[in-house]
Amino acid sequence: MPIITVYINGQKILTESGVTILEVCKANNIPMLTLCHLKGLHDIGACRLCLVEIEGVNRLLSGCTTQVADNMIIRTDTDRIKRYQRITVELFFAERNHVCAVCVANGNCELQQAGYAVGLDHIRYPFLYPECNVDTSHPWFVMDHNRCIMCTRCVRVCTQVEGAGNWGVMNRGHDVRIISDFNTPWGESITCTDCGKCVHACPTGAIWPKAVAQGQLTKYPEMIGELVEKRKLLQ
Amino acid sequence: MNRQELTVMADQAKTKHHHFSKKVCVCCGTSCMASNAEKVLEQVQQNIDALGLKDEVEANLTGCMGLCNQGPLVKVLPDHTIYQKVEPEEVGDLLKAQFVDKQPKKDKLLFADTRPEPFVNANEDPFFKKQHKIILKNCGVINPEDIEEYIAYDGYKAFDKALNSMLPEDVIAEIKHSRLRGRGGAGYPTGMKWETVYKYVNNQKYVVCNGDEGDPGAFMNRSVLEGNPHSVLEGMMIAGYAVGASKGYAYIRGEYRLAIKRFETALKQAKKLGLLGKNILGSNFSFDVEVRIGAGAFVCGEETALIASIEGKRGTPSPRPPYPAECGLWGKPTLINNVETYANIAPIILNGGEWFSETGTAKSAGTKVFALAGKIKYSGLIEVPMGTSLREIVFDIGGGIPGDGEFKAAQTGGPSGGCIPEQHLDVGMDYESLMSLGSIMGSGGLIVMDKSSDMVDVARFFMEFCMDESCGKCAPCRVGTRMMHDLLQRIVDGKGTQHDVDRLQELAVYVKEASLCGLGGSAPNPLLSTLRHFPEEYANRLVSPEVLIHQHLEL
Amino acid sequence: MKKKLATVWLGGCSGCHMSLLDIDERILEVAKLADIVKCPIVDGKPFPEVDIALVEGSVTSDEHYEEILHIRKQAKVLVALGDCAVMTNITGMRNYFPLQEVMAAAYTHSPSNDGEGMWPNHAALLKLHGKVLPLQSVVTVDVVVPGCPPSADTIFYVLYELLNDRMPDLSTAQKLKYG
Repeated sequence: MPIITVYINGQKILTESGVTILEVCKANNIPMLTLCHLKGLHDIGACRLCLVEIEGVNRLLSGCTTQVADNMIIRTDTDRIKRYQRITVELFFAERNHVCAVCVANGNCELQQAGYAVGLDHIRYPFLYPECNVDTSHPWFVMDHNRCIMCTRCVRVCTQVEGAGNWGVMNRGHDVRIISDFNTPWGESITCTDCGKCVHACPTGAIWPKAVAQGQLTKYPEMIGELVEKRKLLQ
Repeated sequence: MNRQELTVMADQAKTKHHHFSKKVCVCCGTSCMASNAEKVLEQVQQNIDALGLKDEVEANLTGCMGLCNQGPLVKVLPDHTIYQKVEPEEVGDLLKAQFVDKQPKKDKLLFADTRPEPFVNANEDPFFKKQHKIILKNCGVINPEDIEEYIAYDGYKAFDKALNSMLPEDVIAEIKHSRLRGRGGAGYPTGMKWETVYKYVNNQKYVVCNGDEGDPGAFMNRSVLEGNPHSVLEGMMIAGYAVGASKGYAYIRGEYRLAIKRFETALKQAKKLGLLGKNILGSNFSFDVEVRIGAGAFVCGEETALIASIEGKRGTPSPRPPYPAECGLWGKPTLINNVETYANIAPIILNGGEWFSETGTAKSAGTKVFALAGKIKYSGLIEVPMGTSLREIVFDIGGGIPGDGEFKAAQTGGPSGGCIPEQHLDVGMDYESLMSLGSIMGSGGLIVMDKSSDMVDVARFFMEFCMDESCGKCAPCRVGTRMMHDLLQRIVDGKGTQHDVDRLQELAVYVKEASLCGLGGSAPNPLLSTLRHFPEEYANRLVSPEVLIHQHLEL
Repeated sequence: MKKKLATVWLGGCSGCHMSLLDIDERILEVAKLADIVKCPIVDGKPFPEVDIALVEGSVTSDEHYEEILHIRKQAKVLVALGDCAVMTNITGMRNYFPLQEVMAAAYTHSPSNDGEGMWPNHAALLKLHGKVLPLQSVVTVDVVVPGCPPSADTIFYVLYELLNDRMPDLSTAQKLKYG
């Protein structure tokens, strides 16, 4: 791969081409917020936290899906980007019922981390308080739609890594929901292999093992990326 | 079929039709069909026989003539006499008066009920006089279910010309020269798009036609597909030849049953004649087209979502870059254009890019079809040169506001567009001018509103549409549109404060800039444009926080 | 001159007050700079004029609504203390259901009640609102301290900054915490 030059926040960086802005930022310790990104899965640019400004491009692009090009001038730290990141996290909190105090993921939640990172101390928009199901039909795991942020990491890990295709998405707009098979209880799934990868992939307390209590959940999302790497070695 | 056979066929078809001195066209678009046009056509045919005019007058079904609320429409050519609201039992008298007594029935003429002196030649009516038809030229004239008639009207001549006397580069150069821009709404130069797809080297490329017209109140694409499906197909074939694609997909909205039927008929006929398939017209160019039916998601009009839908996946957009031109349908270079864009191609190739660019403005060449609706005297489908002023469209063509109403605003571009107020009535309808007013051209919906319209409620209505149609993939659009809708609802309900307007302003710009695709990117347009042009309507609705506190309500 | 400090407890569990007490001997530092003039365990006098008001809990009823409006008038700096005050938290979990269902669940269908299903309706009791609101949905809040509860360190940091006429910034101080 040819080596190219990019400028991120004024810093000159040499990198190989064909990689995304997010990968370059990670390699160079430039902080970049993400929620729907998980190493090992295809990026979809859905959470819009990794938005960057690129000189000569009049739109904001998601860093996780945009590949670097030679002499690209990128900014990840402008006031506009920071303001938008804060609004995005606020909207996540207002959208569903994120009651950290009673959540298993409390203290080990990527949404909380994102909130701290953008300095979010309160939400300026009205909470929507939607009615969400909690699916406890699976013998070991729980799917709590109250905490779901629709990052679809579970859907992607199930399809792309496990190959089972248990998780899917239904409906549109704010009615959008993660579903097991054709919207049947998870416990009755004929495709789920009970592998538990979605539990680790989930950034919040939406999918968790039954054996944990409030604030006790520990996750290992890096496992997904490691697994994908190991499989490549085997091939 | 080879080239010669095509020419022979065209000549034969021309002779066949020239044999008749008169032609009776019965509009069989969706709206006219709904008001019994098929029965009317049946009666027309029977009565022509009964009057013994079988050898002089031919009768045919045609596509939309543009005046959907006056249907069923019957047009007599070459006199251009149009009769409106024709009931099957009136047909006998009408034809007798027209052909035997040579005295057109005045009370059934087009606009007889609204104009003091209706025109016998409809082309002299202001509604048609100011129009300039390229795309709709043969719509309402030819039988959309008959490929022979299309060929008689120079159909597939452009394709033949491109295939046999032009290199793909020449075709692209001609399109570039015409300065044609995408008619789906964004207005990207079509020639440049073609060139990009052409330049990618790949043994498989695709051509896709976007017929997922989803804007409420818009029916331009439907009418073209119903009225002249071969013109769209021919455009796709020329595009396929130009960019080096061997396969095309026409993605048509599922609700458009008739358009799908007619387009499929067109495909069958073209295949039968060998205009689609392998080694077309004796060349080494092979091309085939399939229809894909949309399932009613507005977002599938967005090109990446449309591609996902064709692939059989959930119709959600994906981030660009990579653009479909590079990595589209099944990862292959893909050209996506709107129905109307394709319908422009054949005339451009036939008459030259120079000819096309003479119409319209410097930056926006050609014509644009608008679906004129709302509080307007003569609503319907119109085609005007780019740059025609809104005033001309509303007052000259559309006849102004009915009753004693007063013009307040025109909404262009559907739920993604904006409202243009009275003081900007003289704006020329082209991409840049509309953009500068905070609206967009969109696919061509044009809704006229009078003084009785409540602009805050209009903004809320369109926001509700976008909120329901958001695919739910990216956070700004999914939650942002819901939030904006709820805040607008508060204002409509008389519970909004200045604080809500401030929050709306902030959210609107955020959703516009941070959303993944064009749906979120344009959803705030009705809100932003009403805030900009009608701030007083918002201000009048607001209450002070004290009022809410008094009722123990949320601020 | 010493500042006047008051704390109040609306729709919450008093956990934030417990956490406040957890500042332990640092209360002496606070006492040097401020007089605590009002607090839920002191007495029932009306809320006086103060420099700083720490408000725990969310607005769940007509009484809370009036009270927070009164506090807003009386306090120079209003601090929303804890997740309930900031984002309704657990008290807001009844917002997913209509109030009637919530009352029925608590007073009719709960296994622990006497089965008669009497709902409290004495005139002296507060009237629950249909929807629980965070403080900033009712009044302007000056300082926001999330956490369930905010840690004693955080509370002390906020108090200490305010008593020294500085605005606390939890984000920079890395003291943000939800739940």
